[in-house]
Order: sequence, then C-alpha cells, then structure tokens
Amino acid sequence: MTDSLLSIRDLGVRFRLPQGETMAVDGVSLDVAPGEVLGIVGESGSGKSQILYAMMGLLAANGRASGQVLFQGQNLLALSPDRLDRVRGDALSMIFQDPMTSLNPYMRVGDQLAEGLIVHKGLSKAEARAEAVRMLDRVRIPDAAARARRFPHEFSGGMRQRVMIAMALLAKPRLLLADEPTTALDVTIQAQVLDLMAELARETGTAIILVTHDLGVVARLCDRVVVLYGGRVMEEAPAEVLFDAPAHPYTRGLLAAMPRLETVLTPRLGTIPGTPRSGGSAKGCPFVDRCEVRLAACTTDRPPLRDLTALGPGRRAACYLTGAAP
Amino acid sequence: MLRFIGKRLWHGGLTLAALVTLTFFVMRLAPGGPFSRNRKISPEVQANIEAAFHLDEPIWRQFGRFVWGVLRLDLGPSTRHRDYSVNDLIASGLPYSLTIGFWAVVIAAMVGVALGLAGALRRNSATDYLAGTVGVVGIAIPIFVIGPLLQATFALRLNWLPVGGINDGWRSLVLPVIVLALPNIAYISRLTRTSMIETLRENYVRTARAKGIGWHRVLWRHTLTGALLPVIAYLGPATAAIITGSILIETIFAVPGIGRHFVDAALNRDYPLVMGITLLYGGILILFNIATDVIRAILDPRIRNER
Repeated sequence: MTDSLLSIRDLGVRFRLPQGETMAVDGVSLDVAPGEVLGIVGESGSGKSQILYAMMGLLAANGRASGQVLFQGQNLLALSPDRLDRVRGDALSMIFQDPMTSLNPYMRVGDQLAEGLIVHKGLSKAEARAEAVRMLDRVRIPDAAARARRFPHEFSGGMRQRVMIAMALLAKPRLLLADEPTTALDVTIQAQVLDLMAELARETGTAIILVTHDLGVVARLCDRVVVLYGGRVMEEAPAEVLFDAPAHPYTRGLLAAMPRLETVLTPRLGTIPGTPRSGGSAKGCPFVDRCEVRLAACTTDRPPLRDLTALGPGRRAACYLTGAAP
Repeated sequence: MLRFIGKRLWHGGLTLAALVTLTFFVMRLAPGGPFSRNRKISPEVQANIEAAFHLDEPIWRQFGRFVWGVLRLDLGPSTRHRDYSVNDLIASGLPYSLTIGFWAVVIAAMVGVALGLAGALRRNSATDYLAGTVGVVGIAIPIFVIGPLLQATFALRLNWLPVGGINDGWRSLVLPVIVLALPNIAYISRLTRTSMIETLRENYVRTARAKGIGWHRVLWRHTLTGALLPVIAYLGPATAAIITGSILIETIFAVPGIGRHFVDAALNRDYPLVMGITLLYGGILILFNIATDVIRAILDPRIRNER
C-alpha cells in the first residue's frame, strides 16, 4: 500500500436536507496504484459518483466530506481552495457523465482546452492552442485545427466526450476520474470512446477510477473492482476473479442481472428484489433488506470489510457469510 | 452578421409600417375628433378648421398624406398646439426624456447587476437580504409614492436638490433618474440573481471548476456570459421603454418631456401628434430589440448559427 498513488481512508459524504442529514458515502477506504484502472460499480444512489466529487472538491453546497483522501501525499479534503486548484486539472482530472452540457457553450473548444495549460503549465496562448489541437487530433477529432475554433454545439455527443477526454488528459494527469463517461452516449460509440480513453491513459501512465453501473465496461477495462452499495464498500476484487467467483450476495445479484450471450434465450434476466434504502442507517448491513441469505446478525451488526486471503490476493468483502465459509 | 442585421432591419420596418397603419385607423375609429368640443363653434368655422387640417378629405387620402409626410420626415402640424409642428414638439421634449432615461438605464443596469451578482454569490448573506429588500421595495412601491417622498426629504427638508423642473442642470436630474431607476434596479437585480444561481449550477461551470483554473476565471470566463444573457434580453426592450419618457416621472418632477405629450395627444385626439409619437416609440423599440439580438448573437454562438 505504500506505493499507492491515491489512498482513501474512511471517506464519508453527508448531505444536509430539509428532512435531516443523509449519508451518501459511509466509511469508504480504497487505494489506487500508479497506472491502475479501478472500477467502482453500484446502482444509482450508491454514492459512487459522490466519491469522485468529494475528491475534486465539487460536492453540492449542502454536502460535506469527512475522512482522508491522500493523493501524492496531500490530503485533498484539507486543502485550501487555492491549493486544491493546483492539483485538480493538473495531476488529477475528471470526465463527467453528460458531454452535452459539460462544455461551455459560449467558448471555442480550443480555448477551453488551452485554458488549463495556460494556468497550470504557464504556456503562452499560442503554445497552449497548438498543444490543444495536437490533443484533439489524438482523440481523433477530424480536422482538429479547424475544429478547435468551433463551438461545442457544432460537435456531436461522441465528439464532445472525446473533447472532454482530451481536456482531461491534456495536462498528463497522474489520476483520471471518469464518472460514467459513456452513459449519455449512443451504444454504438460507447466502446470506442472508452477504449480511446483507456488507450491514451495507458500511454501517459495515468491511473483511472472508472465509475459505472455497466459491468460489461468493468470487465473490459478494469484491473480491480470495488462494489458499492448504500455508500459502503461491499466487495473488492481483481476484475477477472470477481466475475468468476463473486463473494458478496449483492455482487452475485448484480452479476445475475447482467445479460450474457450464453443465456440469451432465458425469458427473464435476474433481478434483485426490493429497492435500495435511502440514506445510510447506522445499524446492520445496508443490503440486509434485499439479501436472500441474511443472518440474524446482519440486521443488528454491520459486517466489517475483511480480507479474504483464502480466496486469493486483493480480495475483500463485507459479509458474515464469506468470512465464515471461505 | 451584416446580412443578419439587414434582415432584422427589414422585418423591423415592416413591423413599424403595420403598427403605424393600425394606429392610424384605430385612432379614427375612436369617437370624437380634434375639434369636437363641448364649446359650440359655428359650423362654418368648424368646416374651415377641418379643411385646414385636411380632415374633410376621405380617410384613405388622409392616410396617403400622412405616409407621404413620414417619407419626407414631416409629421405635420399638431392640431392641439397651434403653431407647433409635431416635429417641434418631439424635438423639444425628447432630449429631456432621453437624458433622464439614459441615466436611469445606466444606473439601473449597473446597480441591478451588481446587487444581483452579490446576492447570488453570497446567498442568504446580509448583502443578499439587502438586495432582496431593495427588490421588493422597488417593485412594490409605485413611482407616485416614492417620488413625492424623495421630494419631501431631499428637496423640501434637506434642500439639497430641486423639487422639480429642469433649470438646475444635473441637480434637477438626480431625483427623476433615481425614481425611474428604482423599479428597474429591482427587476434587474432579481433577474440577475436567479440567472446567476442557475448558471452556477450548470454542468459546464462544474467542468470549469474541475480544471483548477481559479475561482475568478471560473466566474469571469465561464459563468458571467450565460448569467447575463437573460438580463441583456430584458434590458433591450426595457431601455426603449425607459428612454422614451414616463408620464408619471414627467408629471411628478415637472419635466417637459414627451411622455406627457403622448397621453395628452390621445385624450385630445391630436391625430398627427399621436401618429408621430407612435412612430417614434415603435421605431426606438424595434431598434433596441435588434440591438439586443445582435449583442446576444455576439455572445451566444448558438443564436448566431440559427440564422
């Protein structure tokens, strides 16, 4: 763990709402090594995006983060806005979910890209523009030099997300946060955009945290996976073993709900009964209400996240059953 | 862009022509005429006067005469103010209305935008509440209440400024300008605040923050354009309305502007003056709308591309 690029310890994200406080992320700890691709999966509302927002200092006004986010030796949560601005957009950058609304409609695409380089790397306007055009070319925007002088509404959705990728990777960050980067895109270009992102990140040695609810994407790109439920880590495993031997009942449910080629003739996909409960409550396992194999202890005591060394290296799960029956 | 402006001017001209035509005939549908009074005049005198103003001609000829006059920039004689042409009346009144209106718009835009931005950036702070109070007061209290109040305070009690009139240079402008600006400050600050708060929530502003370019760049380069577009859209027509004079302001502060001519002219059935002022108002309104569209097109590439 000493060689990790990012090390999150006991991260909590709370939101103040009119009806009281709600816990979106609850005691999450995870590590990312340089160059590694970590997937965070979970359904809507599991808090996966909020982890990224907390790291970037982009939580909504009523949100508060607690715990520690150590990135290159600095606790991002404790930095002043000025110091944080020296990290984000430079060593740490982010790609957002909706490319249609994430680019400034009033600014030329090239200028939006160049801006970061001017601020972070001290390049001149001309140098930064040239660099921006080169990067647009690398994300395969045709006729990049001319395109850089256009405005976002003149780009298609897929092209805009490639612009976002160019923007995020322009400063050669050490870590790229990608928040469901292809959800808003046409299915036919999702894979293409993701592969491009992964390929460019590999070239620059950039590590990625990829937040998604698409397990297919995880299988394709990720080295390691963290499964999140109700703001808590349920399971963590290397990507290839997670699909073959899920340890947590929730992960098993997720995998059963995933369409597979060999089961295409079965009438229905598996579902997990019930709905996620909102707002983390203090007692018990967050998944207990929907779990088919729950024990009496699950409703009263929260199962801790334990190393499953018996199942293989790098495996953790928060379930009484997996601890008991390796 | 030139083609765009040309097209808008052409459409504006058509609109103006339609407006003027409609006004001309509607005005004549209204009962009474310029010389129908309670006071009895002999039919011969009545006929003479009407002949002098061509009111005895068929209506389409009167209209033709009017249009021919407009083309020569001659709006004809006023039927009410003997010996004055409509051109004279507008030329004598418009400068006062323009001056007061211009400063009122400038102050309203600057103060309104500043208050709105301050309120949006420091929500629920003292500044925000102050701006909110100014907004409610400015919208809720009518000009004919706040005007005399300020006159009583700053003119009669403190004796700093004249009560009204136009003979004290810039000092006579202060009160009418403030009173005219106040409700506009209120609208503009509310509009700016709402629009700024919405823009700050935009995804692209979040992207800008994620770039780590500093709060000032985020604000100036990424937030203001979007936040001020609705304000600019409001300011165009509002400016046209403000600089063409307000009857209330001109009455309260005894300013010989053109706002009062309009109402007087309509009441007196002063056909040429009504037509002249309608033409002026319509023209100014259309010009400012075009100016607004041009500015918005410059700021927003999506509007530009629609043409």
